[in-house]
Amino acid sequence: MELEVRGLTKSFGQVTAVRDVSFTVRAGTVTGFLGPNGSGKTTTLRMVLGLVRPTAGQVLIGGVPYERLTRPRTCVGALLEATGFHPGRRARDHLRVLAAAGRIPDDRVEEVLSQVQLTRDAGRRVREFSLGMRQRLGIAAALLGDPQVLLLDEPANGLDPAGAAWLRGLLRAQAGEGRTVLVASHVLSEIAQTVDHVVIVSAGQLRFAGPLSEIGDTNAALESAFLSLTTTP
Amino acid sequence: MPAHHSEASVLPMIRSEFRKITTVRSPWLLLAAGPLIVVAGITGLVESGGNVHDPALQGQAYAHVGLAAICTLIFGILAVAGEYRHATITDTYLSCPRRRRVVTAKLAVYGLTGAAAGLVSSLVAIAVTAAWWSARGGAFHLSATGAWVTLAGGVAANLAFAAIGVGLGALIRNPVAAIASALAWIALVEGIAGQLVGAGLARWLPFYASEALDRASLRAATRLLPQWGGGLVLAGYAGVFAAAALISTLRRDVT
Repeated sequence: MELEVRGLTKSFGQVTAVRDVSFTVRAGTVTGFLGPNGSGKTTTLRMVLGLVRPTAGQVLIGGVPYERLTRPRTCVGALLEATGFHPGRRARDHLRVLAAAGRIPDDRVEEVLSQVQLTRDAGRRVREFSLGMRQRLGIAAALLGDPQVLLLDEPANGLDPAGAAWLRGLLRAQAGEGRTVLVASHVLSEIAQTVDHVVIVSAGQLRFAGPLSEIGDTNAALESAFLSLTTTP
Repeated sequence: MPAHHSEASVLPMIRSEFRKITTVRSPWLLLAAGPLIVVAGITGLVESGGNVHDPALQGQAYAHVGLAAICTLIFGILAVAGEYRHATITDTYLSCPRRRRVVTAKLAVYGLTGAAAGLVSSLVAIAVTAAWWSARGGAFHLSATGAWVTLAGGVAANLAFAAIGVGLGALIRNPVAAIASALAWIALVEGIAGQLVGAGLARWLPFYASEALDRASLRAATRLLPQWGGGLVLAGYAGVFAAAALISTLRRDVT
């Protein structure tokens, strides 16, 4: 399932957060979505997911806008920075709430809990969770519907080195199964190790979209390319 | 998309909303406060010299069920505002980007739960009233004049205020601000507004209408609407708030 961003623009009053951004994320690849703070990454992801209404342009997921997907969680799994949890709700119950809404069988809840290694802690309330555990719970929520497209905003946030390695393996495996994976991140070293393609935005505009090999797949090469592409002249 | 399909798709959101309220403690603590208000209110009525031989007193006791609706109002406010507070609204809209269904499911689940809370308050009201009447040697009759009508009005008020709360919480998405506004309106604003506009118009205000519905007549000087009229006016307010919730929710960016 392809993700196609076409001429996306978003203005908040006088401020244009995203200006005419277009790119395609192909199935079977992990694509890194890079940009400095305030470059429009999060706004773009939120427009992809129908949470923010574009001023112009559209996003198609397998040819359909998010709002028109019949069972969105089975098509797209998303982890956003501001995706929240009720602190008093148990981890398993959090996923069961989402499963009911997405018409996903409750058995899937146990599967994803085990996939993110939270089975042992699933009966605890989220307020007792560390940042890394919350992140794993958010990833479990994204995986719940066994979606064809994964959109993850800073997924390595709060994960320890073992967790980060596990996440890399997960993303590669998902792409290996033919799924479409888009990862927004600041951590260039993380990206250099994981992705096949990169999309770079700065000041709301697209600066680069293409294979990582085109800008160099070493850490240092990616960093220097990133800095020169995102520095406003 | 055929119409029958869109109707069927509200059901998963209704299941999800029920799971939301049954998996955290706060709604139950809040709703449990309703019967406590009823117990305290009826006890106060009798202890402050209420004459249990006066046939009208039983109705006044039952009118406290309508007062318990303040709990279902706050319960309703938290339906949407609580989701903004914990940022779970994002996941809710990811599950169901057709926001009309989200609001519809919340109105249904919170309305039903509010009515159920009103029923529990009614049972408690009957039990406490029976206990006090027997302790004070009054003649307690389940079929006392207007008893059932008063209780039914109280249950309806609990339902209506839950729905009004859902709408209010969708309009003012900060739960503290929404609850503070609602309480300020009840405690202060409506009373002042009522005096400014005069008794003839005041009875159309939401809490005056609610008093008519509960047959509470807390402000005896005001000529209230008949009970059915109070019910209709309150249903109208619930409808207006629900519509406002829908309109303000459908296009708003969730950032």
